[in-house]
Amino acid sequence: MPIDKALFSRLTLLLIGIGFAALLAAGAGLVWQVETTRNYASAVSSAQEVRVTTLRALSLLQDAEIGQRGFLLTGEESYLAPYHAAVEALPQAMARLAKLVLEDGGRPGPIAELRELATAKLAELARTIALQRAGERDQALAITRSADGRSSMDTLREMVAGVEARSAMRLAARSAGLEANGRALLIGAALAFVLMLAVTVGSAILAVRYTRELEQAQAEVTAANAGLEARVAERTAALAAVNEEVQRFAYIVSHDLRAPLVNVMGFTAELEAAVAPLSALLAAAEAEAPGLVTAEARAAVAEDLPEAIGFIRSSTERMDRLINAILRLSREGRRALRPEPVALDRLFEGIAASLRHQLDAAGASLEIAPGLPTIRSDRLALEQLFGNLIDNAVKYLDPARPGRITILARRLAGRVRIEVADNGRGIDPRDHARVFELFRRSGRQDQPGEGIGLAHVRALARRLGGEVTLESAPGAGSRFQVILPLEPPPMPTPSPEESPR
Amino acid sequence: MNAAAHAVTIVMIEDDEGHARLIEKNLQRAGVYNEVRHFTDGTSALEYLIGKNRPEHRPTLVLLDLNLPDMSGFDILVKLKADPQLRPAPVIVLTTTDDEREVRRCYELGCNVYITKPVNYDTFAQAVRQLGLFLAVIQVPPPP
Repeated sequence: MPIDKALFSRLTLLLIGIGFAALLAAGAGLVWQVETTRNYASAVSSAQEVRVTTLRALSLLQDAEIGQRGFLLTGEESYLAPYHAAVEALPQAMARLAKLVLEDGGRPGPIAELRELATAKLAELARTIALQRAGERDQALAITRSADGRSSMDTLREMVAGVEARSAMRLAARSAGLEANGRALLIGAALAFVLMLAVTVGSAILAVRYTRELEQAQAEVTAANAGLEARVAERTAALAAVNEEVQRFAYIVSHDLRAPLVNVMGFTAELEAAVAPLSALLAAAEAEAPGLVTAEARAAVAEDLPEAIGFIRSSTERMDRLINAILRLSREGRRALRPEPVALDRLFEGIAASLRHQLDAAGASLEIAPGLPTIRSDRLALEQLFGNLIDNAVKYLDPARPGRITILARRLAGRVRIEVADNGRGIDPRDHARVFELFRRSGRQDQPGEGIGLAHVRALARRLGGEVTLESAPGAGSRFQVILPLEPPPMPTPSPEESPR
Repeated sequence: MNAAAHAVTIVMIEDDEGHARLIEKNLQRAGVYNEVRHFTDGTSALEYLIGKNRPEHRPTLVLLDLNLPDMSGFDILVKLKADPQLRPAPVIVLTTTDDEREVRRCYELGCNVYITKPVNYDTFAQAVRQLGLFLAVIQVPPPP
């Protein structure tokens, strides 16, 4: 099953959750165990205290009895010192014992009984001491001798032992509980450990699998990229080949068109040359035998032939110019570009200087904005490109106002936009696309030209890795924007061995 | 016109009959009356020039068009210059192609003059006539 990103996130989160829960449970168990152990420790000490206090209470009672017995035997008051001390300390000890037993979780009943018995014992001792003092020694001894006194002390001993035993039992129960807890905790911790181990291994496997899938996907993307690059290179090469083919085609066609044109021109000239002897013959015939000369023959020699020859000649000359234009474009397209740093301001100054005569004749001004950048490009191509644009601007000025041509440039990211703007007659928006086509012109045809300049400009701009656009309206001037790269694009150059046929 | 030039046979290899006729006419106008052997393809021209039944040794000048139906003028130029007898014969390339790489290649292969056929007839006629003058003054070396 392929792991997608969402599934991987969910699974990882789940595993982390399980691991965290196990850790939390183990931690809670540990806290619980520590708390239980602490309770147990305090239970041990309180059991100890119960024992000590019980023994102390018993020993106090025994002290009291010892004091009483000594006094009864000797009649000397000094033997009563332990008795007095015990009587004084006993209530506090009993109270403390009651409190401790209650705290230790014991029942209040046996303690109350013990207290009652102790109180009764003390009362008995007090009565015998009072009888002894009153001289009634025999009566006092009789009370002491009676089973009541002894059984009372024995009962006390038994009760104290009972209290002690119950405390010990409680302690043992707690100890067993502690042990059971410890075992449970150990098992729980082991389970948590196993769970965490499983979670860790699971996450690791998941992560490895996911990483492997990611790597695989990345490898696929890389391969796809490489394929894409290869395809782009292939297409570029194919385009370059097609371009080369078109250029060769243009070159060959224009050459092959020229060959018959040489004949047309040549034999037209021969015809023209033949008209001269014919005219002479006609003149002679008219002089000698006017009857032979018909009006048709006269018109044919004097008008029709020269007219036909004139049309043939002007048409072939025009055809020759067009073919030459195609040849020039084709040759320009085949020329290897030589990129070099070209300072645009100096380039435009050079073009302005070469067009100075036309500018002066048209009374036009050419302004070059300061701060034009330097780009790496083919100097000759740039000269032809902007030379054509500025030449057009000069040619198609509006006679109604003084001509003004401005050049300015703006740097864009990695490119530069150069603007050649004029206040000339402008171009109808319908013709904006047409004017860049070969042999197409726009507006009044009052200037010489074959409709080649802008086609050449666009071909050059594209060859330099740029583009040319036009904004213009009739009567409002034209604005040609040429966008060129600051650095020349890598371009396959036609091999120097290539030549037509 | 010196005697050597008179004796020279002009071999014109030109597939376009019209061009050939115009060249001949203009050569005659320039006063060149040498024998002109015209071939419209490279195979027959080479057969005449370096074939088995080639004529006995006599001074030859070759007028060569580069665009021929059966082979490239360059190949003919190479074969002519590789032939020991014809190597000294001047070769004038007269063609419509004016690509500078082609011109350079022709000169590298040993052509003596490269003339572009101009479409303008006056220029064309003038070029051929100048060629006639050229023929009148150059010494075509007799083959060994």
